Amino acid sequence: MRAEPKGEQAAAATRALNVMIVGVGGQGVLMISKALALIGQKQGLQVKQSEVHGMAKRGGAVFSHIRFGVEVWSPTIARGEADALIALEWAEGLRWIDYLRPETGVFIADTRRIVPPFACRSRRHGAPMAYARETPAEALEKVGEGFALDATAIATTLGEPRAANTVLLGVLSTSLDMPAADWLAVLDALTPPKSRAINLEAFRAGRAWAEAARDDPTLRFDAGFVPRARPADAPDMSVALVINAAWCKGCDICVKLCPERCLVLDAEQVAFLKAPHACTGCRVCEWLCPDFAIEVRTAVREAAGA
Amino acid sequence: MNEAVRTNFDIKDYLRLEMMPHFMCPGCGHGIALRCLLWAVHELGVDKNRLAVVSGIGCSGRVGAYIDANTFHTTHGRPLAFATGLKLARPDLTVVVITGDGDCLAIGGNHLIHACRRNLDITCLMLNNEVYGMTGGQVSPTTAIDRLTTTTPHGNAEPTFDACRLADAAGASFVGREVTRQAPALKSVIKAGLAHEGFAFIEVLSDCTEIYGRKNDLGESPEMILAQKSDMRPEAFGNAADEPFRPNRLRAGVLVQRDRPEYGRVYRERAAAERAKAKAKG
Repeated sequence: MRAEPKGEQAAAATRALNVMIVGVGGQGVLMISKALALIGQKQGLQVKQSEVHGMAKRGGAVFSHIRFGVEVWSPTIARGEADALIALEWAEGLRWIDYLRPETGVFIADTRRIVPPFACRSRRHGAPMAYARETPAEALEKVGEGFALDATAIATTLGEPRAANTVLLGVLSTSLDMPAADWLAVLDALTPPKSRAINLEAFRAGRAWAEAARDDPTLRFDAGFVPRARPADAPDMSVALVINAAWCKGCDICVKLCPERCLVLDAEQVAFLKAPHACTGCRVCEWLCPDFAIEVRTAVREAAGA
Repeated sequence: MNEAVRTNFDIKDYLRLEMMPHFMCPGCGHGIALRCLLWAVHELGVDKNRLAVVSGIGCSGRVGAYIDANTFHTTHGRPLAFATGLKLARPDLTVVVITGDGDCLAIGGNHLIHACRRNLDITCLMLNNEVYGMTGGQVSPTTAIDRLTTTTPHGNAEPTFDACRLADAAGASFVGREVTRQAPALKSVIKAGLAHEGFAFIEVLSDCTEIYGRKNDLGESPEMILAQKSDMRPEAFGNAADEPFRPNRLRAGVLVQRDRPEYGRVYRERAAAERAKAKAKG
């Protein structure tokens, strides 16, 4: 590593170099892991790579550990020992950030967000999501050296958004002491003919971006980045459930089929809205009530004080 | 029929409020089917005074009585026959028949096949709960095999009728099927059936929780309604000749829609031609 403090230099010469690559299924984590492993081998180093890609095809988390050195024993990287962390997806990068070596670890992340469905905690229109809220500037404060770029946008301008992983590999190439020609040779050999040209181009674009960012630290993150907020035009809806107790026969359908589980049967076996704040006004109870005892009323809430 | 979609559907506008709550058992799917019918009627903008609902006998026969429109509670199995006369005499009305599996397929089976053949502009909603609910839970033509009913205490041995294939084979120009669990989808199928010019047969898979579900250990009404969705599997709607009886896996949605001359129109054209001929003869 270039930014290695002097006292540790002797130890660093013998210990293995640890790189972690994380992302979401389908982004190409394993493809760039393989490229990185081949580049390590090309330098005459021992390489060990291990990966977890269980539910990856369903948008699940994928991570890959790559260790190279003169002699490498364990295939996995311990917490706090990664020299570089490449994140193909923003929240995945933040999730693994404590695996980076404090002070010296290099953090390279795409700011593109892939929001999993379970981050949507409420069905209300414009409701806040349980997705990472850190801005790139905040995230880069937590690491020794950081780069947050919209690699997907760079790859898209080249004509193929899926090449974002190679853009990030190009950024990484400026942090590792390996000749650029070797990286290009490995990519040339690894990628299929159809996507070879775009991958090489994406690698060069990433490398060029990183070289510019090294000279000018203000370029290292997109200052204009704003986490997706509630849309300005999202109406503030108020939901009211009107339960006609005289018609309810206590069949339990609304209680069991409410996606938010906000209804219960009271002592009289009549549907009762236990958690009014959890009700999103989805109308499932209204549709499925065989006795027409539930009516969902929605209205745009007036601004406070209006 | 007015195509304009009106919003703010309030079912109370379409119910005879003095008769509510209705007499159906807790969790009976017929109520959901009734809501979907009224919802479709509302979205199509059909005037209540131009809507005629004809129903037969059974739990399904009582459903029509709660609708604040022109309703006609007829004899067992014969709502289609009454509706045929009504539609021929008053072609300006939107005629909907609400019938059940026993009413439509057993007692009124003959009326169904001829209504399909004739292709008069009627929408027939068959609420299929697989049992004769009102009379105490006897076996019906659509009771699934091996199910327990009061008349099949050791399990039903008769093959199960697939009403949609029957209607298709008899020539219905519109055949649809949907479960009550998917209320908005059911509404869309009913809406398509109402808008279709010709005989529309719609099978609504409903639940009888008190008599059929409890006897067969199918759970309470929420469990039965949740099971509906897992029973529906996308599978080609086969030719009626291949497999006349009902498979376990069903396809929902609009199954058949074909262009055939509507009988009422054909009848009126012929009558007009005859009248002109007689007049010419003088």
